[in-house]
Amino acid sequence: MTETANHSRRPTPFWKKFNFSQAFKQAPWRSQIQLVGLFLLGLVIVMLVAGIYLSISGQAAEAGLETFNLSYERRSLERTIADTKAQLALITSSSVMEQRATAMGFEPVDPTNVVYVVVPGYTGRQTAILAPPPGITETQGAVVKNEYRESLWDWLFQGINRLSTSVRGTS
Amino acid sequence: MRIPKSLTRIQILGIALTLFAGLIVFQMINIQTSAHAKNLNQWAQNYGYQVTTIQSERGYIYDRWGNLLAGNKEVYEVGVELQYVVNPAAIASAMASIVGSDYTTILGEASQPYVEGQSVYVTLADFVDSDKIAEIDKLKTEYNKSNPNGQNQILPSLLGLVWTAHLQRIYPENDLASNVIGFYSYLDRENGRGYNGVEEEYNDLLAGIKEQVLIPLDPYDLQAIPTAPAGASLVLTIDREIQRATESILDKAVKSTGSVNGTIVVMNPRNGEILAMASTPRMNLNEYWNYSKIYTAGVPFNKAISQVYEPGSVFKIFTMAAALDTNTVKPDTGFVDTGVIEVGGVDIYNWDRGAWGPQTMVGCLQHSLNVCLSWVATQLGTTKFYEYLDRFGIGHRTNIDLAGEEVYPLSEPGDPTWYEVNLATNSFGQGVAVTPIQMLMGASAIANDGKMVAPHVLKAYIQDGKQYNTNTQIVGMPITADTAHTLTNMLVTSLKQESSDALVDGYSVAGKTGTAEIPVNGEYSSSQTNASFIGWGPSDDPQFMVYVWLEKPATNIWGSVVAAPVFRDEVKQLVVLMNIPPDSVRLNLQGN
Repeated sequence: MTETANHSRRPTPFWKKFNFSQAFKQAPWRSQIQLVGLFLLGLVIVMLVAGIYLSISGQAAEAGLETFNLSYERRSLERTIADTKAQLALITSSSVMEQRATAMGFEPVDPTNVVYVVVPGYTGRQTAILAPPPGITETQGAVVKNEYRESLWDWLFQGINRLSTSVRGTS
Repeated sequence: MRIPKSLTRIQILGIALTLFAGLIVFQMINIQTSAHAKNLNQWAQNYGYQVTTIQSERGYIYDRWGNLLAGNKEVYEVGVELQYVVNPAAIASAMASIVGSDYTTILGEASQPYVEGQSVYVTLADFVDSDKIAEIDKLKTEYNKSNPNGQNQILPSLLGLVWTAHLQRIYPENDLASNVIGFYSYLDRENGRGYNGVEEEYNDLLAGIKEQVLIPLDPYDLQAIPTAPAGASLVLTIDREIQRATESILDKAVKSTGSVNGTIVVMNPRNGEILAMASTPRMNLNEYWNYSKIYTAGVPFNKAISQVYEPGSVFKIFTMAAALDTNTVKPDTGFVDTGVIEVGGVDIYNWDRGAWGPQTMVGCLQHSLNVCLSWVATQLGTTKFYEYLDRFGIGHRTNIDLAGEEVYPLSEPGDPTWYEVNLATNSFGQGVAVTPIQMLMGASAIANDGKMVAPHVLKAYIQDGKQYNTNTQIVGMPITADTAHTLTNMLVTSLKQESSDALVDGYSVAGKTGTAEIPVNGEYSSSQTNASFIGWGPSDDPQFMVYVWLEKPATNIWGSVVAAPVFRDEVKQLVVLMNIPPDSVRLNLQGN
C-alpha cells in the first residue's frame, strides 16, 4: 500500500515550483483604474461628438432662421423698390412735369421757332434699354464658397490630388 | 452610512456618473415617449409647416423712353388678432379717424370673441396707404408707452391691431393712354387679372407665377424659401409726350366741334409702331371700378380698335391705289363729272349733288368726287377691286397686340348681302365698315413704299433680366412702290390745291378727308356724320401717319372742316416732339 502510494507520488517539476504569473500580474486597483479611464474616455468622446453635433445643429438652425429673416427682408426690400419706383413716377408724371415747366416759365414751342443744329455723331434719342439683350452671358461668382460646400473627405482628397499633381509636375 | 471598504472612491465616482448618464438616457427616452411628446409631435405635424402663396410682382409697363405707365406701390392690410385685443373702442376710433373706416363696423369686428382655430383674425381694412399706417404705428406706440401691454383696460390701447404689407397696381399717369394700357383688377387679390389693352393682352406675361408652397417652420429643415420671379415688364411703342399732346388735341377737338366722341391714332408707317392712340371716353385707371359708369352699353374701351364704322371718303385712297396699281388710271386720266353715275340700277351722286365737269384723278381726290371714284371702281372691275381691298386687309383683323379688336366682314360678290351697287358705294367708303387701326394698316402701304406693316404697341419686353425687342412685321405688299409714291404725290397735290386746313407750314403732307353719313333707322342721315382725316408726312420720307375720327360733329358735318384742322394741330405737335425739321432745313441737311 505504502509502496503503491510512493509509486503514485511523482516529483514536482522544478518550473512548477515557481509562480511566474504572480510576478507579472498588475495590482487590482490598476486594472480598475484602467477600466474607469477607458469608460471615461468613451464618455468624453461621446460628449465631444454630441457637443459638436449640438453646435452644428445650433448653427444650422440659426442659419435657417437667418435665411427666413433674409427672405422676409428681401420681400420687404422688393416692395420698397417697387414703391419707390411708383413714387418717382408720380413726381415725374407728364402732368406734374408740365406744371413744373410752366411754373418755371417754359411754354410749348411753335414749330416755326425751333432752331435745328446738326450735331456730328448724334444719332438721335435712343428708346429705353432697361436690360441687356439676350445672348450676353453674365459671369457671376459662386455665392457660397467651396469651403462651405465640400466635405472633409472632399477637401482631403483634393488636397492629396493637388499634392500629387505638384509632385508629378516637379519630377 | 458606512461605505463598504470594497468600494473605492473612484468606483463611487464611476457609479455616480453612470447613474447620472443613465438618468439622462432615461429622461431622453421619457421625453420621446411620454404623452406630452405625442402632443408635441401632433402639434409639429399640424404647425410645423406653413402653406404660403408665392406670387410674382406684376410686371411694369413703360413707354418707349422708359417712363413708367403702370407700376406697383406698397399698401397694407389692417386687421386685428382677436386674442390680443384689449380695447376694441380705441381700435375703432383710430381706424375711423385715420383710415376713415366706419366706427360702428370696426367696433363690432374688433369686439368679436377669440375662438382658437375659428375666430382668430379679422381684416378691418385693405389697401391702406403707408402714410396712414405710419400714423397708426405712431399712435400705437404712444398708447403702449402710457399703457404698457394694455394692462389698464380703461386707457386706450391698440394692442392686437396689426398690418401686413402687399403691393397694389398703380398708374402714375392716371388716364393717360388708358385706352391702350387697360387696367388690372387689383381689389381682387385672389383672382385679379388684366382687362382691356395690354394689361389683358399680355396678362400672362405680366402676371408671372402664383403658386402655393409648403415652408417648414423648423429652422433646421429650412433650406431656402422659394421665391417667385417678377412678371415680365413691357416697353410700349407709345411716346408719353406725344400721347399727352394727342389726348389734349382730341379733347379740345371733341369739345369745340360738339362731337359725341373722337379718336386720334399716330403710327410710324415705316415699322407699325403706335406712337399715340387716343380715344374718348377715357378713365382714371387707378379707379377702374368706374368702368361701367364711363363705358355704358355699346361704348367700347378703345374705339380705335373696337369700333367699326363706315369711313367715307378716306377710303377712296384704296380705290385709287388699286386703279393706279393695275394701270386702270393715271394721275392725269380725265373724267367728266356729270354729277351722277348709275351702278347696279342705283344713281350715285357727289357729296354736294353737284356736277364738277372735267377732272383729272388728282381733281377727283381733291374734290372727293363719289361719281368719279365709282367710275374708277367700275373701270377697275369687281374682281380686282375686292382683290385689292383684301390685300389692304379690309375685312380682316390687323391682329394688333391689344385686347378687344373688332372686325366687320367685307361683303364681297357672291355674298347674299352684296349687290352690284356695293362696288360704287364701297369705292367711296360707304357700305363698308372698318376700324381706325384697319385704315392705318392699309394706308401704311401707301406711305411705306408699298409695304404694309403690322401695327403694334409692344416695343420690347423684359423677362429674366433680358430685354427682347420686337421686330417690324411686313404683312403684305398690296401695291408697288411706284404706285405708293404716285398716290402720295397725288394726295400732296390735292391738299395743296385745295388749300386744305390740314396743311402745315414748312412741311409736305399727304392726306385725305372723309365724311360718312351715318345710317339712322335704316336711312343715311345727312346731319349725322363721321368726319375723318388720314394723312402722313413728311411726304418724301414719312415718319408719322395720323388718323383722325370725330363722331357726329355738331358744328359742321364735313371732315374737311372739322377733322383736317385737328390733323394740322397734331402734326404741328409731332414735328416738334419727334424733332422733324421743316422740309427745307431737312433737305438742306441731307444735301450736305
